[in-house]
Amino acid sequence: MDLLIKNGFVYDPINGVNGEVLDIGVRGGKIVDPSEVDPREAKVIDARGKVVMPGGIDIHTHIAGPKVNTGRLMMPSDHYFSFMKFEKGVHRSGTGKYTPSTFLTGYRYARMGWTMAVEPATPPLKTLHTHEELDDTPMIDKLCFLLLDSNRILLDYLSQGDLDRFRTLIVWFLEATKSYAVKLVDPGVAISWSWGRGYGLDIDDEIEPYGITPRDIITSFCRVNQELKLPHTIHVHCNRLGIPGNYETTLKTMKSTSHLSVGGEVNIHITHAQYNSYSGESWFDLGSGSEEIAKYVNNHAHVSLDIGQIDFGTAITMTADAPFEYALFHLSRWKWGGAEVENEAASGIVPFKYRKRNFVNTIQWCIGLELTLLSKDLWRVILTTDHPNGAPFTRYPKIIALLMSKNYREEIFKKLSRRGLKKSILPSIDRELTLYDIAIITRAAPARLLGIDNFKGHLGVGADADVAIYDIDPEKIDLSRDYMKIKERFSRALYTIKGGEIVVKGGEIVKEVYGTTYAVKFREEIDKSLLKELEEKFREYYTISLSNYWIPEEGIRHLRYIYCG
Amino acid sequence: MAGLNLVLVTGRSLSQGEGLDIGKTTKDYFEGVAIIELDGEDLEALGVVEGGKVKVETEYGSIVVRAIKSRRKHKGIAFMPMGPWASLVIDPNTYGSGMPTLKGIKARILPTDEKIPGIKEILERIYNIRVKEIPKETLSEGESVSTASRVIDNVACSFCGCLCDDLEVEVRNNRVVKVRKACSLGSSKLLHSRENRILNPYVRENGVLVRVDLRSAVKKAAEILANAKYPLLYGWSNTSVEAIRVGVELAEYIGGVFDNTSVICHGPTIQAVQEAGFVTSTLGKVKNYADLIIYWGCNPLNAHPRHLARYSAFAKGIYAKSRRDRKIVVIDVRETDTAKVADLFIKVKPNSDYELATALRMAIRGYDIESGKVAGVNVEKIRELAEMMVSAKFGVIFYGLGLTMTQGKGRNIEELIRLAQDLNEWTKFVAIPMRGHYNVVGANQVSTWTTGYAFSVDFRRGYPRYNPGVTSATDLLNNGDVDAALIVASDPVAHMPAKAVENLVKIPVVTLDPKWSLTAVASTVVIPVAMTGVEVGGTAYRMDKVPIRLKKLVEPPPGILSDEDVLRMILEEVKKLR
Ligand code: SF4
Ligand SMILES: [Zn+2]
Repeated sequence: MDLLIKNGFVYDPINGVNGEVLDIGVRGGKIVDPSEVDPREAKVIDARGKVVMPGGIDIHTHIAGPKVNTGRLMMPSDHYFSFMKFEKGVHRSGTGKYTPSTFLTGYRYARMGWTMAVEPATPPLKTLHTHEELDDTPMIDKLCFLLLDSNRILLDYLSQGDLDRFRTLIVWFLEATKSYAVKLVDPGVAISWSWGRGYGLDIDDEIEPYGITPRDIITSFCRVNQELKLPHTIHVHCNRLGIPGNYETTLKTMKSTSHLSVGGEVNIHITHAQYNSYSGESWFDLGSGSEEIAKYVNNHAHVSLDIGQIDFGTAITMTADAPFEYALFHLSRWKWGGAEVENEAASGIVPFKYRKRNFVNTIQWCIGLELTLLSKDLWRVILTTDHPNGAPFTRYPKIIALLMSKNYREEIFKKLSRRGLKKSILPSIDRELTLYDIAIITRAAPARLLGIDNFKGHLGVGADADVAIYDIDPEKIDLSRDYMKIKERFSRALYTIKGGEIVVKGGEIVKEVYGTTYAVKFREEIDKSLLKELEEKFREYYTISLSNYWIPEEGIRHLRYIYCG
Repeated sequence: MAGLNLVLVTGRSLSQGEGLDIGKTTKDYFEGVAIIELDGEDLEALGVVEGGKVKVETEYGSIVVRAIKSRRKHKGIAFMPMGPWASLVIDPNTYGSGMPTLKGIKARILPTDEKIPGIKEILERIYNIRVKEIPKETLSEGESVSTASRVIDNVACSFCGCLCDDLEVEVRNNRVVKVRKACSLGSSKLLHSRENRILNPYVRENGVLVRVDLRSAVKKAAEILANAKYPLLYGWSNTSVEAIRVGVELAEYIGGVFDNTSVICHGPTIQAVQEAGFVTSTLGKVKNYADLIIYWGCNPLNAHPRHLARYSAFAKGIYAKSRRDRKIVVIDVRETDTAKVADLFIKVKPNSDYELATALRMAIRGYDIESGKVAGVNVEKIRELAEMMVSAKFGVIFYGLGLTMTQGKGRNIEELIRLAQDLNEWTKFVAIPMRGHYNVVGANQVSTWTTGYAFSVDFRRGYPRYNPGVTSATDLLNNGDVDAALIVASDPVAHMPAKAVENLVKIPVVTLDPKWSLTAVASTVVIPVAMTGVEVGGTAYRMDKVPIRLKKLVEPPPGILSDEDVLRMILEEVKKLR
């Protein structure tokens, strides 16, 4: 059925619409000119006094795949205390707050008005698993980033200087696994971790036995990424994550690709930057490096980042940065999960607790907000919690409120470590984001950085009809003072519309739908002789055959290709 | 009468494994499984000749079986293959774990003149099931349409958790005629895929199974499930991920319990992971790197025959190039076939693996161990192993049912995982469970991503809950808590403790299986399905959680659908009823 969303305050940054009262028409799953919709035939939503935005897009959230599922397995307590009941004909059941089961993941995003999410770290060999979980994740569109930095075959070619094959095989791996972008995690570290080494590897350290450095990996992938015209840039989790003083490594990482940028285009995305913005030399004199990072980003258009905000309370850290997780296990001393995938990647899982009175955690909490509030170009600064590392994604409403209200921040300051606050600049920042800003960092900018802003992340004619309506009247609510309302209203969308259908009403799921999985596809054909060579390599390195590695299209519920090259 | 007190260990064996393909009502199965393996000296002490009959008595029951002289020495320990005979004497109590005690049970063995009961007798006399006759059906040979054959390569074997994906299968006239590269278990499954098949749906009427059409069978199945207050949906380790997904949906819809066979294999491993975490890798990592391989409480040469050659001891890797570059250790209660190829065999006293793991944790830290022996092992040997462990460059422990099924269960694994975690302070070490059925890992995976829990998931309250010891299939059946059951791709009547089977056969049971299993014979509704990995494709997860696509090699018998399709039909029908 057609929809007509009438008289809402529309925030649509891609089209420069900043809170104007407009009508939005929906037909056949797309946004159409409202004049095309006949109000007598359509479902009319009275959005007077409400906020209308494109559906939210999460650019980095660990929601599916081998690591996430083992996280679920490791945390029965999380699933015991948090659940959703099955409702016949409406939705499935589920459990888990920090590592929700797949159905629940979809429902929770939809309830907040989010309609798309990116699983940011899948090891190629197990990506079929990732897709099977994404297939069971309803309500949202999805895609995944492929872990390639420690790929034995790619590094063979890279270290031999065979950039042609290196490039072609990146294409092959992306196509074989139906993935969307290149993910580099603590570049090169998983190779060293095979021998239990690699913790603290820096960008110019040599990686045994290849004799290349993380810098070589980052710049080579970046170059190929640009050549291939992939819709997203390389997505980089920097070296030395979570180590005091690492902001310098982050600066070096960002600089490493600056000379490659063409016409100032973004060519590197630094993910969960909070974890890589620490100054100081040890945990005792830790400080915030956010100013330096923000300065670089403000002055260099070739970098984008997402913040990786933490929130206080329980979290489950899970990354493909295995040595880091092992180090963290020594701090938390509870449970540690470590896994390695042949020739490709490693990962770790450690449940963790961020405490308000804790010096380090206070600084971490400040850094994420600082990175956002110091930004002069929010189109390159995205809201994430690196779910479930910093906090579950369900804390977005809270973080939005914090970004929009200095009052709220001050309220929280009272409970934090004083020493930690002194080391942070957040208390001195007065900036409060507007609803327009929020629409940028949660909708428009992620769509643009993913290279899908022609049909996602906006409400212009022809866009996918993914819409969120919040019960916020910016003319009546004092956003800075009434921060609890912001938090509350963003937690429960008044309406979420996915692909033109009303799926959430009054914060509750009213209809279950399944979104699309996006993957990249290239126009170039892969040379047959290279495939023969690859088959040999597979026989030598892997325990499955090349032909069984290729994920068939039929294995994925709704697959849609984004063509590149 | 002269009797002997021994420790009884039950487990998988080659004949038990092959029995899955040729059928459990055959003479071969009877001869391979209605046995007890005794040490030569024990046999002599009993005054029984090889092949003579003995009575096995435990606190939980007794049964007469044939005595076999073991090829190896394991005085004081007796071995019985898993199956309906062993089920009568094992300890059904799970002590809150969901896992009955299947190994390390005190037993008394006596010579006897009593008869060894056959399958039919066990079903009829002990479980009160009217068997009458197992419907005999033969798959027609069909017309030879052509003699041309085609070879399908890179086929994944859908037998054990190794999921070897390099098989070459020759197909002629819609039949598998030749299998290359598989082990005997794998090729037996493929070559015998047409034997012992169920070719028609059946519904039990007045005590006997009567042929019906698919529609009526599905209808009847749906009625049973829709009318049940607390149904159990059990099995799932020998079918595809696609089918398992529908299974979860069905369980959720009817508010039942969704449990998979890991409850009687590696359920305790999952509980250990919940306590301690894990440290693991895919098998390729072992193949390429491992210079120390420890098989603990598992016997891959029998249960996972190609494991050593493809992934571990004998594999050709990048850094560990051959057997010569690796040290092999076997830890077991008896000298297994795998132990024969080891550099070091450590014979652990039954029920003391936990102690051994603890002693190793102490030894690697250089702590003093006061007593001279731990778990029946000399401390010098423990130190020797500890030294091997810390000086390895990449070590791995493969562990099996020898740890999960004995006393301590999950605690054994927890200690073993902690040992492996500790070792990472010195070197690289991982621990990998040897999973049995080809897709039991898939059952855990799907269960976890859809519900948050890997097995024993209870939907009674409309959302997933998990409490092994209460919501586990074994306990639910032991206690007679469930009032109907759907069994998919599993044979609980052959493998569950007698007490559980007694209760299972009292309630209406719907069974989906390609072949006549004992459970099928005892069911209320039997629906034949295609063989996954042979006649239908799908995804399965290898023991190291690597997903692999199974191929469709031949057409299923006429009119026979996949598990997934039949489950969907049942679900649709159930939706009409409630
Ligand atoms: S080892 Fe297992 S998977 Fe491999 S061929 Fe034998 S039975 Fe099949
Ligand atoms: Zn992340």
